[in-house]
Amino acid sequence: MDTKPEFTEEYLHCAMDIGEQMLMSGAEVSRVEDAIRRICLSAGASRVDVLSITASIITTAHLVNGKTFTESRRITASANNMDKLDQLNDLCRRICSTHPAPQKIQAEIRQINDGRQYPYWIKVCSYALVSGSFCVLFGGSWRDMIASALIGILLKMLESVIRRRQVNAMLNVLLISLAGGVLSRLSVLSGLAGHADLVSYGNIMLFIPGVAFTNSLRDLFIGDTITGSIRLLESLLQAIVIAAGFTFAHYLF
Amino acid sequence: MKIAVQLLMALIGSAGFGLVFNVHGKKLAFAALGGFLAWGVYLLALAFGTSDYAAAFFATVAVFFYAELMARLLRAPVTVFSVVSTIPLIPGAGLYRTMDALMQKDYAAFGQQGMYTLLFAASMAAGIVAATAIVSLVKKKPDLKSDAIR
Repeated sequence: MDTKPEFTEEYLHCAMDIGEQMLMSGAEVSRVEDAIRRICLSAGASRVDVLSITASIITTAHLVNGKTFTESRRITASANNMDKLDQLNDLCRRICSTHPAPQKIQAEIRQINDGRQYPYWIKVCSYALVSGSFCVLFGGSWRDMIASALIGILLKMLESVIRRRQVNAMLNVLLISLAGGVLSRLSVLSGLAGHADLVSYGNIMLFIPGVAFTNSLRDLFIGDTITGSIRLLESLLQAIVIAAGFTFAHYLF
Repeated sequence: MKIAVQLLMALIGSAGFGLVFNVHGKKLAFAALGGFLAWGVYLLALAFGTSDYAAAFFATVAVFFYAELMARLLRAPVTVFSVVSTIPLIPGAGLYRTMDALMQKDYAAFGQQGMYTLLFAASMAAGIVAATAIVSLVKKKPDLKSDAIR
């Protein structure tokens, strides 16, 4: 027990920073709550209450002497970044076993935040891979596959351009779907592909929130009801917007 | 369509999403292999005559056992593998068809596709919960103060 440090507000900061980054990297809320609780307990708190939903985290750490510290964070964006989640998880495990000083933890978090990313051309290629393979999985010919992969590349480029403007997320999805629909029609008109809808299926897989939809049901099943409801609603709305984009594009031609 | 082509495409599709989700190196390879496994178990269950929903359940359970194993062997959170490996099963197309039917004002298709998608995703969610529960029963009780989190 003597190796344990005195619990200070800095530890709560660290725990919240890690929890925040985990949530933004696509971790489940139960994992985020668990990580924050473990870090605070290992740093000497006697009781820790954490509530995390996709949009916010609230934590109160209780000390043996009766003092409490509370901190909340608002989370606005999240994207799956598994490498970062992996490293944060690892950091969390090390904090619990070796109790490093808060300054050291902060330095590690900064390092993880500038972690490795694939170069842009690989990200572009990954969109082509996903589009092409799902196009074939849904019954597209090899020519449909090529068209779908090419459109996937164009959509990735379009996405990175409009992401930079930081407009409404739903508007971004609508614009991308509209472009996807138009491009799939063009690919058929130009004689490259045979089936516009099969070409589109490959591209839709990139943006349809299927993972979020399935995970929202999981959250509901395990009792994270608030998170599950929010995610369910968000994913349904995004799916409607995508369908609206493609439908509108097909009316244009 | 030939089963081999489907399995290959499940593998490539999972690998593609692994890249999108920033999974690197060995973890990427094994996560993508999980996608192959997922589709394989799904097709196998269908071949035994189960419904789509039961097949989705069994495939998800298989993937989560695989993800737990890989998480242990390669020292990474389960999520890294499970998110990528379930990709071929995720009813993204069903979700799209549902909303597309809504846009076409085809309410019969909307109900049918919507129910299929909801039940399919719920079967997968049930698979996730079941697999996680079984794993946590087998695992040692975690010690909140010292145990590593997975």
